Amino acid sequence: MAHKHKRTRVSLVDAELSMTPMIDIVFQLLIYFILTFEVLDDIAHLDVFRPAPDREQREQMETPNVLQVVIYQDGFTVNERRMQLPAIERTLGRLAAIDPNQTVLIMATAHSRHENLVEILDLCAKVGLRNLSVVSMN
Amino acid sequence: MSKARKKKTTAGTGGINMTPMIDIVFQMIIFFVLTVEMERDALDERIQMAMAPHGPLVEERDPRTVTIDLNERGEFSIARVPLSPSQLRSIMRNTVAIHGQSLPVVIRGDQDTMHQHVKNVMDICTQAGLYRISFAAIKQLN
Repeated sequence: MAHKHKRTRVSLVDAELSMTPMIDIVFQLLIYFILTFEVLDDIAHLDVFRPAPDREQREQMETPNVLQVVIYQDGFTVNERRMQLPAIERTLGRLAAIDPNQTVLIMATAHSRHENLVEILDLCAKVGLRNLSVVSMN
Repeated sequence: MSKARKKKTTAGTGGINMTPMIDIVFQMIIFFVLTVEMERDALDERIQMAMAPHGPLVEERDPRTVTIDLNERGEFSIARVPLSPSQLRSIMRNTVAIHGQSLPVVIRGDQDTMHQHVKNVMDICTQAGLYRISFAAIKQLN
């Protein structure tokens, strides 16, 4: 009788869920994730329009009434006038105030750094210009 | 005695059994962790992208997007596989044949790479008929 009673007790204890190992594992996982967690940078995608690499179309693009930003190795020109970034931003801002759909022709020379192109695209995004055409120059 | 025992055991099994639920939750955690890692591994983290604090943040990505990594020496790769210009050209042609010309292309160019390298990549894309080209840049460093 006493033996039987003991047995039922044991089976009842087994039926209960033991939380300790689970919590151990959860903490292990938590520590692992905290240690391996690495915050990713926010990424922006700057959309551009790229004309097909075909001569005729490129010549058509260069109509005189579009704003033309040229990126050289050592600076920028806007409509053939040398400008620094703040002045370019003002010029682009004025253009955007008139018509944000106005095409901006961005011409980059072969040896200019990609960072400078991204800077100009960023300014265009800032003032709200949408039609950006990137052309390569020799 | 036997009656009391029966009652007790039914009370024990009547409670919610947590074990299968925890199993499933752990399975899901492992699945998500592995898939996130895979997506991150597909990019070349040595590329230092330029800053564009005003650029539009990437929110909804087209799942067809092709990301081309371009390092400062002008070498390009897709999902960490270095490609020659002719390989990239044939890949882009084949991709266009399957997914059409509206496929978006993202160029992750290093900030110090020269424009001529970017031009090479863009020319290959436009020759394949792709017109949705964008440059990836860092909006905010975290």
